[in-house]
Formats: sequence, structure tokens, C-alpha cells
Amino acid sequence: MDTKIREKIQKIVGKENVLWKDVDLEVYSYDAGLDRGKAGLVVFPSDGQQVAEIVKVLFENGLSYVARGSGTNLTGGTIPMNGGIVIEISRMNRILEMDLENERVIVEPGIFNLTLQNALAEKGYYYAPDPASQKVSTLGGNVGENSGGPHCLKYGVTSNHVLGAEVVLPNGEMTWVGGKSLDAPGPDIMGLLVGSEGTLGIATKICCRIMRSPERVVTMLAVFNDVEAAGQTVSDIIADGIIPATLEIMDNVVIRAVEDSVHAGYPIDAEAVLIIELDGLTDGMDEQMKRIVEICEQDGVASYRMAKDANERNELWMGRRNAFGAVARVRPAYLVCDGTVPRTELPKALAAVKAISKKYNLQIGNVFHAGDGNLHPLIMFDDRDADELARVHKAGSEILKACADLGGTISGEHGIGIEKLPDMKFVFTDADINMMRNVSIAIDPNGLCNPGKLIPRKEMVH
Amino acid sequence: MTTNSLKGVKSVEALESLGVRVKNVEQPSTEGEAADVLAKASREKLVVFPVGGGTSISAGVLPENVDIALDTTKMNAVVSFDSANLNMTVQAGKTIGAINEYLAGHGKGFRIPLDPPFSDRATIGGVYAANSSGPSRLRFGTVRDQVMGVKALDAKGTEVKFGGCVVKNVSGYDMTKFLIGSAGSLCLITSVTMRVYPLPAATAVSEATFAKLDELEKFLESLRGSFLLPSGVLVEVVDGGYHVIAGFEDHPLAVERECKDFIAMASKFGGKGSSKVSKQEMQEAFRNAIEPKEEGISVKITVPISQGPRVLVAAKKLLPLSKAVLYAGNGVLCVYAGESDAGAIKELKGLPDNGSGYVVPVRLHRTLLSSFGPRVDQKLDQYVLQPIKKQLDPLGVFPPVL
Repeated sequence: MDTKIREKIQKIVGKENVLWKDVDLEVYSYDAGLDRGKAGLVVFPSDGQQVAEIVKVLFENGLSYVARGSGTNLTGGTIPMNGGIVIEISRMNRILEMDLENERVIVEPGIFNLTLQNALAEKGYYYAPDPASQKVSTLGGNVGENSGGPHCLKYGVTSNHVLGAEVVLPNGEMTWVGGKSLDAPGPDIMGLLVGSEGTLGIATKICCRIMRSPERVVTMLAVFNDVEAAGQTVSDIIADGIIPATLEIMDNVVIRAVEDSVHAGYPIDAEAVLIIELDGLTDGMDEQMKRIVEICEQDGVASYRMAKDANERNELWMGRRNAFGAVARVRPAYLVCDGTVPRTELPKALAAVKAISKKYNLQIGNVFHAGDGNLHPLIMFDDRDADELARVHKAGSEILKACADLGGTISGEHGIGIEKLPDMKFVFTDADINMMRNVSIAIDPNGLCNPGKLIPRKEMVH
Repeated sequence: MTTNSLKGVKSVEALESLGVRVKNVEQPSTEGEAADVLAKASREKLVVFPVGGGTSISAGVLPENVDIALDTTKMNAVVSFDSANLNMTVQAGKTIGAINEYLAGHGKGFRIPLDPPFSDRATIGGVYAANSSGPSRLRFGTVRDQVMGVKALDAKGTEVKFGGCVVKNVSGYDMTKFLIGSAGSLCLITSVTMRVYPLPAATAVSEATFAKLDELEKFLESLRGSFLLPSGVLVEVVDGGYHVIAGFEDHPLAVERECKDFIAMASKFGGKGSSKVSKQEMQEAFRNAIEPKEEGISVKITVPISQGPRVLVAAKKLLPLSKAVLYAGNGVLCVYAGESDAGAIKELKGLPDNGSGYVVPVRLHRTLLSSFGPRVDQKLDQYVLQPIKKQLDPLGVFPPVL
């Protein structure tokens, strides 16, 4: 990296807030996906104004950059390309305003999702999107990826709950998009920015919708002797007109890994467990739960139990939230696929995953947001084995193709990043991708804002 | 395809009543026919104005002259309805009323929770393009929360498709959201895929009247802070006070409790109320509350939720003869006035404090609209919207973007 540029950036944020030695840069060369890329510099701004000044310098000098939170991205979205600069927003982590009267909070992008949840819970409120990585993933990262989470079945994903943001545009200009009030005139720019994987700007303040915590929450663990029956139960519950807060399934491979790791109380010989959670008013909830039990029984549930209290509920959830980490006990590395299918196609999608697992001789565990039809097959492998790694990539892509062919898509909540660029052709035509590319060119004409992500190069499509 | 005769075509009348001169009208019944119109317009550099039921035409920019009004109302088929996965795809020209009629007649009965004013004329494409909404947005949100996918034609008539029929989808840019509110300036929306819901097990309407503004405000604050989950809460100024209508839909036991709690809460803050449980009442009560007798001119004002009642009162002071309905849980105020109020309506622009909200034209004459001033932040206009317009519609086939 040019020393003059480094000095300019050091002047904005202070010398102590810029990393440029090889050993430091190495730490920022990866995220939770499989791709790698070394940064030219890593800079830690402390507010939006500094972000704007940094971006202006980079814009004027034609240097690319990527905003990064905790780096939990699963598709390479936070990897710097071609020695680009990493703008690390983790020090911008304050709650700026908790406006309960208007059901909004304004936060900085570096705040952890769970930190916000905990602060809100004290006041009797919550922010609905709850990605499994919530302990460490930042709100800024959640906005970039349009993160989901188990509770999105009933309440929607990040874009349904982020109403505005202070944004630094790719030319370094800073402005607000949306805000506390609804229905900003014109095209839904906030809707475009959420999920744009940091390619259209950097959010430096985020305005979220918050909701009153429900009066009552009931959590149930249903145990099944086959995964298909668990999947059928999910469809049957929803067809009955009940929309639970969550419907999460884990298969035997994941159950065993979780029990070895965090002891959530799942029976290790079960083929599948289904976590069902209802929330809302107390009145009528017992009747709804009774109906759900009837449906489970009709679909051949082996056993079920209700969480007796908040501690037991937390234990059940701890297993689900630590599922990805737990499989590291089985093999040293894993690739998480993130395909989505219409709910009723889940059995076919699982059969496809099984066939692909056999074809490539790979062990695959399944965790899925069943109510949303969002699968997370975890392909386990040893990344030191080049042959196995090559098979993993092929299997991952084939699973996504299978999801697309079943009427679904290639990413439910983890984004495209670098990893899935070649798979975009499974769901989009050249014309679709051209329109997205034109939007990107319009806002970031010099291609400096997290380049090489989300939109495939022309030669990758057809 | 029906073309050319302008007489008696409702979309043309709606445009002309707002000062737009229309040379020709096309009413395609298929995407292919619509694509041909756009391809021709693109070749011959004609200005095309996409229009549905004409209920929210002023959401975007109204040109003085339009070569072709592209009326979508004949593209009104249900493309698919998947009751097991609770989604449906419909062509853009189908009205909200017709969609709900279709869904109510299938299986145990279904519906979409979009209930904008004039649902019998408002098309799903128009509701999407104008970002229209109704009382049920309190519980179900707006188009951005219900629509999962969209098909559209670009300025040359090439088809593009974004999103799909799954609720979680982060493949590529969320163009499905971006095109909401684009008011025909970037694409012609040809079909929309959205969530579908079973008809509720029970519904109810609760009403209460308050004599004083601070009683109303305290009541609404208490309602927001409670566990109750109303589908919508509407407030109107009436003789001697403020009238609140809330609709509930849920498990019958939950609805019963909500009705009881609502009345108790109203009485605690000095209100007088009543509740009625019945399947039909809620939608009817909502419709009666939001629709004016005459269409006239209309704007939507959005403010932080707690400011809603004060803005309602201020709007009524400025336009005493208008119909003003506050969507109380959202901070959204809909104002309907007669043509004679055209001069005063601009004053509403000052109601959101220090730029804390928006005044969004819904139905205004084009001359009034052009004097309304910029509706979008200057930087967003300069660095985001205009560059996108230039990339997507370089010839200006569609009307300008806001």
C-alpha cells in the first residue's frame, strides 16, 4: 500500500487505528467462508464522519475497499479483493437512541445483534431478526447480508425491520435513507441497500423497528424417527393456519455433534428433532399447542416435550445456535449451503442432498429453518485435502442447483459473496443480472465498493 | 390488444383529470403484447405511462404529455396459487378486491392482507408501484413485507424477474423491494408473487371515543405498550372528540380477550367504547373508515408514531372539510380533500417536524405536483436515483424517476 495513502488515512483515524503489517493483515484475510484475500490496510474508524473521509480518500485514489464487522460471513463477502482496504466498523458499536415511544432504535453498525437484543429485553422489547451468529455478528453485517434467523418465519428478515440508515455512498458523500417515519417517497432505496453485501455503500447508523416482547412463549421439542416425517409436520402445522414463531429441524448427524458439544438434551438416536415455538397472547395458546401436538402425533412423532421454563428453552436453543460450531468436532472444516425451496419441496430437497452426499462421498449434516424452506446442509471435510475440497465445491453447487430446480433459490440468508457467483445463473437470466449490474454501475461507477462480490462477471453467466 | 380509442377508458380519464394529455392507450392482456408496446416505444422514442386502476397516480412524476398510457387492467389473470406453500402469483392488473374474492373461494378460504383504499379498483401492480397500503399494515406490514417476487419489462420490453416464491431470498440485489414505489419510472410491473394467509379463525372490531386529545394520546400509548396485537388502529376527528376503530383477528379466545382489554383500557383513559365480534365486520369497518365519499385530491403524511394524533389535529385545522384518517400504530395520516382545497394542501408539507417525516402525494393535479417541490433527498436523487434511471431507461421511455 502506498505510504502516502496510509498516512492520509492515519491522519483521519489516528496511527493506532490503522493496521498495515503483514502479520496483522493476515488476520483480516478470511471470514467464515472458504475464500481468502489479503488486505492492503485495515482501518478502524470511530464514527460515520471518519468513514466518509476514508471513503473519499479511497474514491479519489481509485482504491477498492470492503466494510467488515465480525467477519462471520459465510460466502466470502467480507474478503478484500486485490489488496483492497478493510474498513473495520467494530469500534462503532453504540446504541445511539432507544426510542421506545416510537418503537425505533438507532444504533451504530458495529453493535452485536445480541447486545442490542439484551438491551431491548430489559425494556420489554425485541428486534426480530436473530441469526444464529447473533452473539458476535454485527447489525451492519446483518444489514449487508439481509440476515434471517429462526424467528424470521413469523416476523420477516432484516429488511422488514431496518427502516433507515445513515449511509456513506461510494463517492464518500454521506446521507440518510429512510428513518423513523415510514413510506419514504420514490423507489425503496433502503430495500435495495439491505442485502447488497456492502457493494452500494456503508451504513454508519441504522434505524431499526423494535417490537413489544410477547406475553407468552411456549417451546416444544418434537422427536422423529425420520426426517421426512418432521418435514411433513412442518407443512401440516402451517396448512392448519398456525404460524409459529419458529420451526427448526436438525438431523441425526447434527444432533450427535450438538450433544457431544453443548448437551442441549436432544436424544442422540433420533433421526430428527423439530423445535416449535409459539409466541403471542396467552389466551388461545394452549389450544394452539394442543392442535400442534395432534398434528405431530398424526405424523408419527416418536416423543415430545415442552420446555418447562426459560432455562430449558435456552438449552434447546443453545443446541440449535451452536449447531454450526458443533460439527467442527466431526471434521476440521465445513461448508454451509444456504438453499431455499418451497416448504412442501423439503423432502425432495433432502433426498437430493442425500444423493449428492453419496455421489461425492462426503458427510453432510442438515440444519434447517424448516418453516421457511431454508436448508443449511453442512458439508464436513478436511481443508488440507485438496481432492476433498474440490468435491465439496462441486457438491455445494449441485445442492444449490437442486434447490433452484425445485422452485427455490441459491441463498436464503447467507448471500452470494464470492462463493456463489457462478451459481447465480441457476436463478437469473442475463437480463436479470444486467439490470442488477446496471444498478451497481450507477451507484458505484468506479467499482471500488466491495468489488467482485454478488454480481457475476459477464463470462460467468451462460 | 385493445388500442387507440380513448373515450371511456378509465385510466385515461384518471390521467387527464390530473392534467396529463394522453395521445394513445394500449391495454395488453399478455406480457408479450406489453413487451411489443415497449419495444415500439423504445424504437420510436415515445413516452409510456404505466397505469392500473388509477387510484394513486401521483405517487411518481406526471408528465405533461404521454404518448401511450399503458393500461394493465386487462392483464388480470391468477398465474398460480399454491395453498400448501401459502403464495400466489397474479398479473399486475388484477385488483386487490378480485384477488381476495378469488382466494376466499378456495379451500378453507384465504386472503392477502393488503387493504388499500378503493380495493375494487386498485390493482396489485399499482399498489406495488405506488407503495399503497391500508389499515392492516399495522400487523402485516405493506407491500415490502408481503411481496416475494416480481416480473417486469424494462424500457425495451425485455423481461426481468427478481425474487421468487420463497420467503427468504438474498440471491442478488433485492430488486423486488427497490421497484416498490418506483411509480412506473423504471419498469413495467407485469406480475407479482406474494404471501397468502388463511382467513382468520375470528375477527372483531372495537371502537372508542375520546373527548380530549391527551386522553387519546395516553390511550394509544398504552395500547402500543400492551400485549394486544391489533391488525389496524384508525383514528378520526369527530364532533366532540376522537373516534378510534381497532380490528383484531386471531384465535377466538385471543380475540375475546383483546376486545375486553381494549374497552377496559379505553375507559381507564376516559373513553367510551364497545366491541363486536363478527367475521365480516373488521374489513367492512376498515373500508368505511378509510374511503372518502369522493376521490378528490389526497396525500399521505408519515411521522414518528407518537406524533400521529397531533399531526391529525393540525391537518384538520388546515383543511377543516377534509377527511383525515390516522393509521395510529404506524404514524401514517391519509388526507382526502376536495378540489377547492388544492391551495391549502401544500401547507400540509410543514406538518412533520424538522424533516422528521414525509408528505407523499397520492392524487394531485400535475401542476400542483410540480409546485410541491423535491420529494427525495438531494444527494439520493443526484447519486442514486438519477444515475439508476439513466442506466435502466436511457431513452426516457418511462416517466421521470422522483
